[in-house]
Amino acid sequence: MLESTPLVQSTPLVQPAKLGRVAAYEWSHRSAQVFIAAALVFTGVAVFVGDTFFLRLATEALIYAGLAMSVDLLLGVTGMLSLGQALFFGLGSYASTLVLKHVTPSFWVAMAVALAVGTVAGAIGAVLSIRARGVYFALITFGMAQVVSKVVYNTRSIGGSDGIIGIPVIKVNLLLFEVDTASPAGFFLLVLALVMLLYFGLAYLLRTPAGRVLVAVRTNEARVPFLGYQIRNARFLAFVVAADLAAFAGALYPMLRGFVSPELMYFNVSGDAVVTVVIGGLGTLIGPIYGSVVITALKSIIGTYTDHYPIVIGALFMLAVIAFPNGLMGAVDTLRARRKGGSP
Amino acid sequence: MKTRLSTVSLALAGVLSAASAIAAEPIKIGVVTPLTQTYAPIGQQVRWGLELATKEVNAAGGILGRKVELIFEDEEANPAVATQKAEKLFQVTKVDFLTGTVNSGSTLAVGQVAERNDRLIATTVSFSDAITGDKCSPNVFRVNARAGQQSAALAEWLNKEKPGASVFFLGPDYEMGRNTVAAFKAAVESRGMKTVGEIFAPLGNKDYSPFFGQMRAARPTVLYTSVAGNDTARFFTQLEEYGLRKNLLIVGASGTVTSQNMGALGAVAEGYVTGVGYSPEIDLPANKKFVTSFQAMAGAAPDLYGADSYGLIYFYKAAVEKAKSTDTAKVRTAMRGLKWMTPQGEKEMRAGDHQAIQDMYAVRVEGGKFRIVSKVAGTLAVGPDSCTRF
Amino acid sequence: MGALVDYIQFVLVPQVFNGLTIGVAVILIALGLTIIFGLLDVFNMAHGEFYALGAYLGVTLAGRGVSFWLLLLLVPLLLVPVGILVDRALIQRVFHRKERHMLTMLLTFGLAGVMEDVFKAIYGANIIKPATPLTGGIDFLGNYFPTYRVFLLAVGALTIAGVWLVVNKTSFGAMVRAAAFDRQMAASLGVPVRRVYSATFAFGVALAALAGVLLAPLYSVFPTMGKDFILLAFTAVIVGGFGSVRGVVLGGLLLTQIQSLASLYVSPVWGDPIVFGIMVLVLFVRPQGIFGGKLGHA
Repeated sequence: MLESTPLVQSTPLVQPAKLGRVAAYEWSHRSAQVFIAAALVFTGVAVFVGDTFFLRLATEALIYAGLAMSVDLLLGVTGMLSLGQALFFGLGSYASTLVLKHVTPSFWVAMAVALAVGTVAGAIGAVLSIRARGVYFALITFGMAQVVSKVVYNTRSIGGSDGIIGIPVIKVNLLLFEVDTASPAGFFLLVLALVMLLYFGLAYLLRTPAGRVLVAVRTNEARVPFLGYQIRNARFLAFVVAADLAAFAGALYPMLRGFVSPELMYFNVSGDAVVTVVIGGLGTLIGPIYGSVVITALKSIIGTYTDHYPIVIGALFMLAVIAFPNGLMGAVDTLRARRKGGSP
Repeated sequence: MKTRLSTVSLALAGVLSAASAIAAEPIKIGVVTPLTQTYAPIGQQVRWGLELATKEVNAAGGILGRKVELIFEDEEANPAVATQKAEKLFQVTKVDFLTGTVNSGSTLAVGQVAERNDRLIATTVSFSDAITGDKCSPNVFRVNARAGQQSAALAEWLNKEKPGASVFFLGPDYEMGRNTVAAFKAAVESRGMKTVGEIFAPLGNKDYSPFFGQMRAARPTVLYTSVAGNDTARFFTQLEEYGLRKNLLIVGASGTVTSQNMGALGAVAEGYVTGVGYSPEIDLPANKKFVTSFQAMAGAAPDLYGADSYGLIYFYKAAVEKAKSTDTAKVRTAMRGLKWMTPQGEKEMRAGDHQAIQDMYAVRVEGGKFRIVSKVAGTLAVGPDSCTRF
Repeated sequence: MGALVDYIQFVLVPQVFNGLTIGVAVILIALGLTIIFGLLDVFNMAHGEFYALGAYLGVTLAGRGVSFWLLLLLVPLLLVPVGILVDRALIQRVFHRKERHMLTMLLTFGLAGVMEDVFKAIYGANIIKPATPLTGGIDFLGNYFPTYRVFLLAVGALTIAGVWLVVNKTSFGAMVRAAAFDRQMAASLGVPVRRVYSATFAFGVALAALAGVLLAPLYSVFPTMGKDFILLAFTAVIVGGFGSVRGVVLGGLLLTQIQSLASLYVSPVWGDPIVFGIMVLVLFVRPQGIFGGKLGHA
């Protein structure tokens, strides 16, 4: 079931079925392996030339990739467009900030609390939103993020509009050794490991019976009304897992940058995540990771030439929606298929 | 005028430091400022001010014989972007000093980046009291006036003009808006004026007319507001529409009416009074020269952001020359207690909290320009040092 | 007793009036949104940006000496070809795919971002405040009603009536309703469905532009103004039911009155959460909205 779907979208352009069902799935994993290899080479080069900035920029790209993956789980896998996913990202980052700053400078406690907050907020969000479909779902998620970010902006005890600074640098205890969040290469590798774990974990989850229902929700909803009750549960599960993913990614942010501010929950962040997913490749889970790296690089390159890079990125995005609905991953996929002598 | 000046100083530079200026590495100053989005017009003033001062300093031989080079990065008025760009400037471009942040959140966050990279930054725009108050940092300096200085100047003037006035407050509902209202309220109440009402409208509020009923009923003689930017245009237009500007003195924060929105506001801003640290009208030779050069270079008049940014370069120059080095610890020591000349006259950097002390003015909008209506000595306006970190 | 009369006269009456003018503003924006959705099933995320485009066009033309009264006609007409172009060049390209809901939403979301930045590139980030074409006000029952707001109410009412007539009483409206009801059947009956789609999209966009011209003197013009009314307009459409002219009018009035009256008793900051709460509640209880149904059925 899974093999037939995570890569299959509404698109007439890309039909992974042509690659064979199992092949499509393996190909996605191979993209992940390529990504890890490239990231390791990048780390080596960066350490060799003594870079810190690009390592930390890449860490940030990976953190946003986590958020994008959560959007992909909702949009690409279950067909629900969230326009407010930054809400959970922001909640995770605030939760981790408050723990690190006021409770204990422990990585694992911070991550656990962020996940707990993500789960609770996700469950509440799910109750409010999953009954709605399509446009309605999108509007509810948009509204939720809007309201909560305003509340955070106005709440003095958590820094209000100024946000919170002074989040300590911590040591992450990995039993055998420790990683310092201030070490650019060390923290990059840690975040890389975590994000790839999320990717493989999610891919695994989608192969379980519950995961198969999720995928069915998107592809065959009209044809499987008798699954009604199960669909409701599957949507609920997808929403909560997506909220956890976003909160998890968000919890890493203050460890990298040392501060949080309400801007992290704004519509720009939610919107950017949607753009990242569409450009990277909807429903592939690995696409958002590539997409995040591409967008970060694009912003940094175009940004030096013009102040109006939103026009460029927006145009690319529209082009992707019209011509490459499976994004970067889909385009590469088509190329591969063509070279192998398959159509189109 | 400008060209003549620079030819003279260029010749001078040639005499003073012929070979060394060319041979030495330039001093790099990073500028993380909003070049796009809502605050872009402020970033533009910051840029003009810095560029003008840098041109003058370089023409006069630079700092310690080294040229000054500015490197700009867009921060989109978003702290998340600002920290990323600040890291780039510190770690890749290896700047010696950094400035330019506009909103307080960005200044605080970038200040922390500076601490972790052992460099110094200064803001020329942010006016949240926290930056040199309870969130002060040994690596952050502020050369512009903070909110407390501005409201002290305004309250002082108001007390002379309308003793015992009934004041109505309308602020934007977020931390900064509430702070400015609270600060001004305390300032006027301690001077015997009374509060007759207070409303906080959401940021980006579209229509203020639903609040006019309450305002009318309170019968104030003075309205204080700290709404800003686009909100000001709406608020003032709607006050005019409802005929509420008659018999009401409108005063407020420095960010409410600025040279950025004054043109758009037109007649509805007439008569507005605020407390600021700069006006192009300041009657000092240094200011006249500054205004002329600025106008010639930018094609626009300087405002407080442009002037304070211009003064910053001279602050840094004075500190580096005193320290005879660009080393962080030495420059920091030199900056503490430093007195330097700016278009606004002499400023002093208070050692205890890194807040500049400067003369303050109450200014009124007349014919689309800020006219000075009173002056408050810097030491009276600055308020106590509440920084405890260093 | 006298106090109560005073309260009604001096507090409630002006509050209701102010709420009404905001309501008309919201309805003018939401009308186009609901018509486009009702027929095309396209949720136009860029609708607010078309409202801004109308305002900017108005400012530009006014700067060349075109009178405000002419703009009310001219700007919406100028937006018709723009609407047709957007429909042909973007919407129709993804319209026949299975998930057109999502794809058109994404597409217009991208368009909104591009348009906002284009405004910035052309006009700069600074606010532009057009002069109010009608100044002064009317003293009535001891209250002050600004002339331009009274005018806005009148024009708003006329526009709403006009739109209702177009949808329900003209042959164009009949074609639109037929196409919305059953595309295949309409096509087989000789309705030029594609052209009707384009025309409807353009009609909705022109309405947004009209709102832009009308509201600019009150609310000013700046690049992000499109996001301003959009949560309220979305909610009005949801509460009223997608595709229903009557629904959107009642939804818009209801929401803005609640907001306006609530601001007398609770902090205005709660305005948005209240609106959002109503949206969630309506979707919970009646997902198709209070007057929901296909276009022309309500």
